[in-house]
Amino acid sequence: MDIPIIRDVLEESNARAQENRALFDRHGVFAVNIMSSPGSGKTTLLAKTIPLLQQRGLSCAVIEGDITSTLDSERLKPLGIPVVQANTEPFGGDCHVGSHLVQAALKHFDLARVNVLFIENIGNLVCPAEFYLGEDRKVVVLSITEGEDKPLKYPLMFRECSACLLSKMDLAPHLDVNVETLKENLRRTNGRLTVIPISAKTGEGIERWVEWIVKKT
Amino acid sequence: MEWREKRKEPPFYPPVNGGRDMHELYIAQSILSSVKKSLPENVATEAVTQVRVEVGQLDAVVSESLLFLFNAIKSESGMPAAELLVETIPVRCRCGACGHEFTLDLPVFLCPVCGSGDTVILQGRGIRLTGISANVDEDTEHGHTDHS
Repeated sequence: MDIPIIRDVLEESNARAQENRALFDRHGVFAVNIMSSPGSGKTTLLAKTIPLLQQRGLSCAVIEGDITSTLDSERLKPLGIPVVQANTEPFGGDCHVGSHLVQAALKHFDLARVNVLFIENIGNLVCPAEFYLGEDRKVVVLSITEGEDKPLKYPLMFRECSACLLSKMDLAPHLDVNVETLKENLRRTNGRLTVIPISAKTGEGIERWVEWIVKKT
Repeated sequence: MEWREKRKEPPFYPPVNGGRDMHELYIAQSILSSVKKSLPENVATEAVTQVRVEVGQLDAVVSESLLFLFNAIKSESGMPAAELLVETIPVRCRCGACGHEFTLDLPVFLCPVCGSGDTVILQGRGIRLTGISANVDEDTEHGHTDHS
């Protein structure tokens, strides 16, 4: 017997994501899912961004999904904000943060007191792009040291995101990378993407990125 | 900041246990779970011979990995005889500027007519269960409704 059917295979994952979404809506939380390759500067970016949001009266929280123990959480500790470490394997191995993991992490927050929630995904340009977590926006951090071709190699990631932060711009004079070619490749992949060149070291673009968040809260 | 001072707990919490995930493994598990939910009551999981899915080309699913993992876990999901058929759906877009619809050979989402990057994906994204085949004889179909 043949059973014809049309069914979303990720319906359970999406159902958890919708529950997260409902929680964010109820408490007025703006949730940003931050994705990138390993080492692009996600945690450094958060450490620079969060104090500026706090200055604007926005309270922040972080779900730290990146692997390798609690190293990233420790780096965020001086900010004095709620951080939930959502990884399970001290030696790594997980490839993305799932909506069920976010759901479990959310139980540890007093969401009524959170304006902006950052979900720092696992460093990986493939798997995290596939899964909706209930977030308001997906953002990809791409460091210019990664080369010009990444948008074309990982199209789903760059299609799914609303903004791309081009990080480590301070290194541009020392690299062969052509930032204009990189931007053109971003446009070829997603013409609607907001591209913000940044440097956590010099502060370039950080204000613009903070404004991008503030306007959406 | 004041709300934090009122709280007794430190701002750091123990890790959340979520289990290990791997992209294609999670998808293989989700396919088997979707099949279970879609089977009529009188069809046992053991009777499933074929599972058909559509995978969008944009989803970056490695078919070989998906097949390998599906075959590795199908028995523990009660479907030892299930064969997975994966159909890859090409990416199709509509241009937001001129309305032209086109299929992508390469992951370049520019309109080939007007060059605009303002494009909307029409198909080629998402993973869908599209059909199940099961070996069901007349007796089983009308008799044994107890195994599911």
